[in-house]
Amino acid sequence: MLRHSVAAAALIGTALFTGAAFAQSGKVTVVTSFSKDVTDPFKQAFEKAHPGVTLDVQNRNTNAGVKFLEETKANNQVDIFWASAPDAFEVLKSKSLLQKHKPKAEGIPDKIGSYPINDPENLYSGFAASGYGIMWNDRYAKANKLPEPKDWQDLAKPVYFDHVAMAAPSRSGTTHLTIETILQGEGWEQGWRTLKEVSGNFRQITERSFGVPEAVNSGQVGFGIVIDFFAFSAQASGFPVKFVYPTVTTIVPANVAVVANAPNKAGAEAFVDYLVSPAGQEVLLEPSIRRLPVNPAVYAKAPADYPNPFKDPSLGSRVKFDVDVSEKRTNVVDVLYDQTVTFQLDALKAATKAIHDAEAAIAKKDNADAKALVKEARGLVAAVPVTEQQASSPEVAGAFTGGKEKGARQAELEQQWAAFAKERYQQAQAKAEQALKLAR
Amino acid sequence: MNQPLPISELGTNAVDVDIRNVDLSYGTNHVLKGINLHIRPGEFFAFLGPSGCGKTTLLRLIAGFNQTDGGEVLVGGRDVSRLPPWKRDVGMVFQSYALWPHMTVRRNVAFGLEERKVSRAEIERRVAAALELVGLAHLADRRPSQLSGGQQQRVAVARTIAIEPKVLLLDEPLSNLDAKMRVQVRRELRDLQQRLGLTTIFVTHDQEEANTICDRIAVMNDGIVQQVGTPMELYEKPANLFVANFLGTANILPGRVVREGGERFFDIDGGVRLPIPAQVVVPEGAKLVFRPQHASLAGHGAGDVLLPGTIVHSEFLGSTLRYVVRIGAAEVSIDTPFHSGETLHQPGTSVEISLSLRSALWLAA
Amino acid sequence: MAGATTAGRAHAPSVSSRFMRLSATPGQIALALGITVFLVLFLIVPVGTVIYVAFTEKGTGEFTLVNFLDFARTDLFIRSFWNSVYVSAMSVVVASIFALPLAYITTRFEFRGAMLIQTLGFLPLIMPPFVGAVAMLLLFGRNGTVNLLLDEWFGIKIPFMEGLNGVIFVQAVHYFPFILINLSTALRNIDRSMEEAAQNLGSSGFRLFRRIVFPLAMPGYIAGASLVFVKVFDDLATPLLLNVKDMLAPQAYLRVTSIGIADPMGYVISVVLICMSILAMWISARAMRGKDYATVQRGGGGLAKRTMRPWESALAYAAVLLILLLVLAPHIGLLLLSFATIWSFSPLPDAFTLAHYGRVFGESFVYVKNTLLYASIAGLIDVVLGTAIAYLVLRTKLIGREWLDWAATAALAIPGVVLGIGYLRTFYGVQLPDGTPLATLWITIVLALAIRRLPYALRACYAALQQISVSLEEAAENLGATKMRTVRRVVLPLMAGGILAGFVTSFATAAVELSATLMLVQSNADAPLAYGLYVFMQSAAGRGPGAALGVIAVLLVALCTFASHMIIEKSQRAKGASR
Repeated sequence: MLRHSVAAAALIGTALFTGAAFAQSGKVTVVTSFSKDVTDPFKQAFEKAHPGVTLDVQNRNTNAGVKFLEETKANNQVDIFWASAPDAFEVLKSKSLLQKHKPKAEGIPDKIGSYPINDPENLYSGFAASGYGIMWNDRYAKANKLPEPKDWQDLAKPVYFDHVAMAAPSRSGTTHLTIETILQGEGWEQGWRTLKEVSGNFRQITERSFGVPEAVNSGQVGFGIVIDFFAFSAQASGFPVKFVYPTVTTIVPANVAVVANAPNKAGAEAFVDYLVSPAGQEVLLEPSIRRLPVNPAVYAKAPADYPNPFKDPSLGSRVKFDVDVSEKRTNVVDVLYDQTVTFQLDALKAATKAIHDAEAAIAKKDNADAKALVKEARGLVAAVPVTEQQASSPEVAGAFTGGKEKGARQAELEQQWAAFAKERYQQAQAKAEQALKLAR
Repeated sequence: MNQPLPISELGTNAVDVDIRNVDLSYGTNHVLKGINLHIRPGEFFAFLGPSGCGKTTLLRLIAGFNQTDGGEVLVGGRDVSRLPPWKRDVGMVFQSYALWPHMTVRRNVAFGLEERKVSRAEIERRVAAALELVGLAHLADRRPSQLSGGQQQRVAVARTIAIEPKVLLLDEPLSNLDAKMRVQVRRELRDLQQRLGLTTIFVTHDQEEANTICDRIAVMNDGIVQQVGTPMELYEKPANLFVANFLGTANILPGRVVREGGERFFDIDGGVRLPIPAQVVVPEGAKLVFRPQHASLAGHGAGDVLLPGTIVHSEFLGSTLRYVVRIGAAEVSIDTPFHSGETLHQPGTSVEISLSLRSALWLAA
Repeated sequence: MAGATTAGRAHAPSVSSRFMRLSATPGQIALALGITVFLVLFLIVPVGTVIYVAFTEKGTGEFTLVNFLDFARTDLFIRSFWNSVYVSAMSVVVASIFALPLAYITTRFEFRGAMLIQTLGFLPLIMPPFVGAVAMLLLFGRNGTVNLLLDEWFGIKIPFMEGLNGVIFVQAVHYFPFILINLSTALRNIDRSMEEAAQNLGSSGFRLFRRIVFPLAMPGYIAGASLVFVKVFDDLATPLLLNVKDMLAPQAYLRVTSIGIADPMGYVISVVLICMSILAMWISARAMRGKDYATVQRGGGGLAKRTMRPWESALAYAAVLLILLLVLAPHIGLLLLSFATIWSFSPLPDAFTLAHYGRVFGESFVYVKNTLLYASIAGLIDVVLGTAIAYLVLRTKLIGREWLDWAATAALAIPGVVLGIGYLRTFYGVQLPDGTPLATLWITIVLALAIRRLPYALRACYAALQQISVSLEEAAENLGATKMRTVRRVVLPLMAGGILAGFVTSFATAAVELSATLMLVQSNADAPLAYGLYVFMQSAAGRGPGAALGVIAVLLVALCTFASHMIIEKSQRAKGASR
């Protein structure tokens, strides 16, 4: 046993030595949620442009990355946080984990679509954008004889029942933005109605953003609500998938930020500057990355069919997006969706199926009573336990921030909301089934 | 089991066991070589021999755990050679007892009856009877691990006789007991067997065990039955050197037969010559064999021969005195009764041994 | 632990008489303290810093149990709880269906390839994260190979992978080796006369198995089954990848890793998970009490191996082949995927290529090296700790020694994320002389892996020591060997097989562990294979290379496992010969 402890001591010794060696090199440590396909080309290009500096890329999903920065802030070793979801940056910002840096780049507009590219206080910067859309597996669609969707509302049609997938908004910042866009664009009540009608057709709600394209690529699910580059890179790899931007789509920026107390601040800033420089922006055009540059000038070098949000009005600019509103109710929207949709998916689907069946029957044989019942059922499905005002109120929102002040506990609210939704879905199903009997 | 035994409800009609030309090999290892044995109904029969002689293999073969390569085994006239163990109705008590630790004594004993789909009431009755028979009725709800070695052994016996087997097989049942228990248990076994009248085969390497409880013994060595007989026959008239040597103490004097003037003499290696009586048949290559008590140092009767020798050791054994005497190149043991006031001859003393040639044997290997 | 040696030799009379009451030598006490410190430092403190939140009141931070009341009042959690219990119990049942025939056939009959089956039967434990589930979906999913073919031929689809049943199926395939390994060992240790006595009394076939053989192998079965139950209960990856969220472990994970939400319920669930796991292990320990059959038996060897009749043989091979095909399906799928160009909504890939291996070959070397290093050290730590704890629990009367066992076992139930966060919290503040935090060193990954896999090694060491008769040690002490030397010269050599088995299990499963690792990996140069896999599996183009890396991981670990099996077999034979 003596020998073991000696061995362990030797190991620790070696580790100490190598640790010390790393700290002195020109290393920029990056925590990112981007896949290798994205990070590798940037790493190569950046290291070529800045000889002597190495980019050490640590791949974590966005949630884990935020958690990591939070837990290690006492002795931070990370220079850059690099991810898509703006809300993750908002969280980091609110916890003072980011450092101010205004990139030295010209020709970058304030907004892409209707979304501001940079944080107003310059704590993080947008370097690319992506649009949300619908991706589908062509073989799957043909085998099941499903039409090609064009818009969000199409996915609510009965024909797509059990064929659609999406990532949970609480797990995917970009999905969250899409949800928020729909809520802001259509209004709270109508927005939830649309969301629930589409969600009623879901086959699955995945826990990872990449779970959706993965399911579509392998043909386990036909249609997915995804961020565009997932579809583009799958196409580039040869998968039989197609993609469409709906008429109303969000454009979400992908961001980068210098972490507070970065050990290599100069290197970190150089990397941010590089990302938004014309050279860095051009890397985005590579087929394996395929994201939308935030510098309009770079589109000149893009292939002919490359989507350009600065020219194409359907890409984002039709949507109004209020960052403040979004920020106040982020947690409420996520938890609301999880409690009334994600964790009640079976009940929601049963109600949706019953409504579809009833409507199909009514289409064949009209019946006023049945119609009224179906309308009621749809109303029950669409109902939301909190109003728009409540959602942003400190009492409700405060339940999710923990610590600070006394008030409703998250678990209490969750139980209320879940019970609310479940009860109504069951009632809706009963009414729709009743309608079906009448229409027969 | 000191109290009178209950009248058994487990008695069976005894059957015979016939082993015919049984052969068995494990690869190139020829374990049993043409065994022929007939065990009579109700007999307590022993397979006796040193370890590795094939006795346990033969027993397991009767139980069905080994398959014969040739020959057959008949139990009560029925050929069981091709039957699996569970269809043979041959009860076996294992050397390790093989009591199932996850069952109580009662469940252990009931097991075989349950397998036979005997009615619940009948099982209860027969289990009680079997446990009563071995005097363990009061321990029926214990687990085997809570019993002493002797008790475990009795449970193993009870478990086996509960199924009323046609034949009872005992595989070294006493080897895991201490010396005192061994004597007690072997008497109990004999009593039980007598009471049940059950044909019983007993495997042992201990000649005293075999002698004390068995009706007849088959002495085995090297996969061959050397001799079959009652304990006394085997002692008095061993068929060969192996049997003579294995049962009790035997003095063996090597030498050769010489003829001089129509008379036969036996020249013991080392120079001593003795005459061979006319009527005695001496096989080729035979050696002179006699028991320690068939020779003495004091005086001689008619027909005795005198052999000169030197005392090597002398021991006082209580009722007898034992001398180890060198005769020629060999050493022999001589037992003489101890008489009060007698003194031991010291080692180195030259003596004359008188040997009764009528009790001596000339045996070949 | 070096201190234990010297302390064990010191025998000041006053000290030893004081410790006599505790029935332990100073050396044993020092050893116990050492282990306690290790467990407190690397398990209890890190986990405690994370889960104490479960006991604090919102707003005031005061101690409260209201969160547990919330747990009981929330339908979702109660549903999740029962779903987890159901899935775990059913996984044990299904895993038993896979494991029983394999264990029975390979231990009871002369069966060619028994050793190969035992090794292949271990493989499912080495299921690399992500790729395993992807491969499984490609084969058994709604539009996987099997269902596409069924649909084409018969117009039906079987929902293998849907909902809770899907989780049960995948978990049973993944964890059944625990039952196979333990049951096989137990079957091999049954005295042959136990079975013969039953045959002699008229029992045969399945009745014999049900009434005698299986009850005698019960301790091994319970050990395996309880491990399966606990692992399934605590596993979050499989349900999440199958999109089942209403189970406890996924709920804990989803809540713990939600950004910007300070919800105590994730930690409340973690506490519930830990309690349930300890409860399950405790029940199994109770069930096994006094049933330690293997040690009380004397007499010759294991069960007799019977030769099968031709039709039996054919049946056995068919059964074994079918089960192996089923449980190795993820690996078969993985292999296909690693050679596939595009595999989408079709029974088989469109075409095959070697390109994926080419891509991973260069960059995976550092992952392979790290994995071997980390998993080996973790395995080593585990068997050292496992042996020491087993010894203290089984061979001393030290007060509270069971707590070491319980604490180490509780590690089974701690979600990897919780441990990862705990490590960051506890060790990031600890600085090395040059200012780098302790948590950035790769040794923390090793420690986390060691703690996570300690229960496996502990159980193996425990079982090994349990089968050694105390009299062997007493004989050594009687001949003048000190406790320490007895352990070294008698106990350890006899335990070698079990220790090696424990090492293999710890090593193999640590090599494909992701959840704690992901949190603790500080740079690409220090990353193990599982992390590499994770990185690849984030993009469509990375699926093939990810699968290739997965195949490499499986092959690597399988090779090490096979080598260890050979060593165990060899040492067993050597011991058998000298007996």
